Amino acid sequence: MTEAAERQKNPLLEGLTFRRTPDPCALVIFGASGDLTHKKLMPALYSLAFRQLLPPRFAIVGVARTQGDDDSWREDMKQAVQKYARDEFRQDVWDGLAANMHYAATDFADEGGENALEELVGRCDSEQNLGGNRVYYLAVPPSAFPTIVEALGKRRSATGWTRLIVEKPFGHDLASARELNTMLWAHFQESEIFRIDHYLGKETVQNMLALRFANGVFEPIWNRQFIDHVQITVAESIGIEGRAGYYEQAGAIRDIFQNHLLQLLALTAMEPPIDFTADSVHSEKVKVLKALHTPGPKSVVRGQYGRGFVEGEEVPAYREEAGVAANSMTETFVAAKLFVDNWRWADTPFYVRMGKRLARRETTIAIQFKRAPHPPFEETAAEGLRPNVLLVHVQPDEGVSLAIGAKVPGQGMTIQTVHMDFLYGGAFRTGMPEAYERLILDTMLGDGTLFTRADEVDEQWLLVDAIVAAWTRDRPAFPNYAAGTWGPPSSEELLRRDGRSWRRN
Amino acid sequence: MASQLSEWTGEDVRLADVDRAIAELRAGTASTTGQPSLRTSVMTHMAWVPEGWEDAARAALSGMAERHPSRTILLFPEPNAGSDGIDATVALECYAVPGVEREVCSEVIELHLRGMRAKAPASIVEPLLVSDLPVFLRWRGEPPWGAQELDQLVGVTDRMIVDSTEWDDLPHPYRQLSGLFDRAAVSDIAWARTSRWRALLASLWPDVADVGTVRVHGTHAQALLIVGWLRSRLGRDDIALEHVDLPRLEGIDLDGEPAPFPPGDPPMPSDVLSDELDRFTRDPIYEAALLAAVQ
Repeated sequence: MTEAAERQKNPLLEGLTFRRTPDPCALVIFGASGDLTHKKLMPALYSLAFRQLLPPRFAIVGVARTQGDDDSWREDMKQAVQKYARDEFRQDVWDGLAANMHYAATDFADEGGENALEELVGRCDSEQNLGGNRVYYLAVPPSAFPTIVEALGKRRSATGWTRLIVEKPFGHDLASARELNTMLWAHFQESEIFRIDHYLGKETVQNMLALRFANGVFEPIWNRQFIDHVQITVAESIGIEGRAGYYEQAGAIRDIFQNHLLQLLALTAMEPPIDFTADSVHSEKVKVLKALHTPGPKSVVRGQYGRGFVEGEEVPAYREEAGVAANSMTETFVAAKLFVDNWRWADTPFYVRMGKRLARRETTIAIQFKRAPHPPFEETAAEGLRPNVLLVHVQPDEGVSLAIGAKVPGQGMTIQTVHMDFLYGGAFRTGMPEAYERLILDTMLGDGTLFTRADEVDEQWLLVDAIVAAWTRDRPAFPNYAAGTWGPPSSEELLRRDGRSWRRN
Repeated sequence: MASQLSEWTGEDVRLADVDRAIAELRAGTASTTGQPSLRTSVMTHMAWVPEGWEDAARAALSGMAERHPSRTILLFPEPNAGSDGIDATVALECYAVPGVEREVCSEVIELHLRGMRAKAPASIVEPLLVSDLPVFLRWRGEPPWGAQELDQLVGVTDRMIVDSTEWDDLPHPYRQLSGLFDRAAVSDIAWARTSRWRALLASLWPDVADVGTVRVHGTHAQALLIVGWLRSRLGRDDIALEHVDLPRLEGIDLDGEPAPFPPGDPPMPSDVLSDELDRFTRDPIYEAALLAAVQ
């Protein structure tokens, strides 16, 4: 029975506010000894338990090749929670969570191991009456997906619902992504597949939707008539953090551009959805991604960092990182000029840049408006005046600021640009949930709004494939930027050609 | 933790003095941090604090500005002070924001309204309200029904928060309170404290629909509101109430059988007030329950 029908039938429910509580279920994490589980998944589960947001009956089963048992895994996870969780460690909360945590050391390809795992999950189910509900989290390299998915498909629970969370990277090009989808669809329906892009779980990314569609003031000017261009920056100051094996294959374009960056762009450019259901939001994003193109090879630049200084410390070049080939041509930086070919955005450039070992960690979306048509001040009075910029800080300093011109106090008329700031942490002091908390909870609730649909992934790869295809024709002189800077000179040149420049950071 | 950077106190002041003091205190934060503090408000939060309620009012407000950055105006009426005038204290409470150099500061304005000044409080607070943001009025104790000061403050308020547990002679004052429903949304802390139990009783549907007698172990206000809620939601005015007086809601019996205890811990007082500050619209379920309680 739906919640609305339930309320109609039971008049006492009217007016009561209930937290969204998921059905009882078992969460099975493949890759339970990995970094993601330590740093993100288990701390997120602890925070959900801390706030009593997990289902009343709930079990976690960790699966990995690493030898271990329930006790050793619990101890390992306890340390991870103590180190990485955003909430204080409370023994009673942990005990409640740990009591229903189990570990299965198994090779994913081992038939006997799969049967033993299913038996363990089945036992948890019958002990706690979980109704056959399962969430499977694939926190493993993509090469392990087919084996696990096939095994899970064969052993689907006869009762309850089954949901599958798939971590990025989702393929390495369009063909492999489609192959992966075909493989998933052989065993799961699209509505059961939750392709995670953790950026969409961030509060400030979701706030882009609130900013645009809950405020009447912005939408009328959110178009080519009033906006000069958009700049999206996803900058990291860290290097590859020991992930050479993955990064050498992916590079910046598959690591960030194909997923996080294009999702930020889609949320910035999409039309208002008719409602906030998963399909409505996905459909609007797909329209943007379909309309997205880059005008040519010269509109995309790539870079690789050399030695340099980050926060005063000398750091090695990319090619000097452990596991990276000495002549690696993997890009650690990408900047591009993109266009969204539709009525709203025609001829309005979206400049995007992302990379590792940049000057600082920053993810921002800057909407730069056109200049006032005729400032009636003397030229010298307004020389400190820059165009209005609406700046969405995704991280850090989560919030929104608007750069406006203001008169400098005094006898004359001198105009200067100042910032009006809305700081998330200042207005809402409740502590922002980590992206994984929201996304795991949404999966348990069956809400796919903040995940990516298959056709979105397709469109993202189409663009990336077109860019990468052009790269095969040249061989840039890597490294071409020093660690701790804002990328190669060609990135600056990309905007200078259009008479523009990257925002001053 | 909040830090109180500095404080300004004045006797027999004009509101312009208060405004000037706020501006000076704000400017002062710029010199200590290098950059001006952030000015963030989501509401104006007023509290009418008659004599005897001062400590309780300050205790409930403790940490509130940190969770709901707001301009807080505490009004202490002293109608029998022997002279007319306004004495004021203005302080900035500042809070660090992780990862940001600047602090977020909220103003706390305490106004002692002496003599006749206590009779026209709206004219005093209106110049101090933060424009375009909702105004919440916390009224400690039982409001003086029909009095000018209540009438005036309700007139500038979007949501009035009371705690009917603080009132005597219930349910008579409920009839008076219902007279304000069309002028301002009303929150009742006593009602908010029954929410866990109401959810519990709702979970007993459909058996609970036939209940004949409800015995409430709690405050008189909570007992009245729970039976009023059942009467109004179930469309039955024949549900009898028995009341066991306790300082907090500790149990409900349905036809002599104790209902199970609701899960979780009861909320802290500041959490209850904080939740009410997140609500902006009228609560028709509460209003119906209150009217049914009066029957």
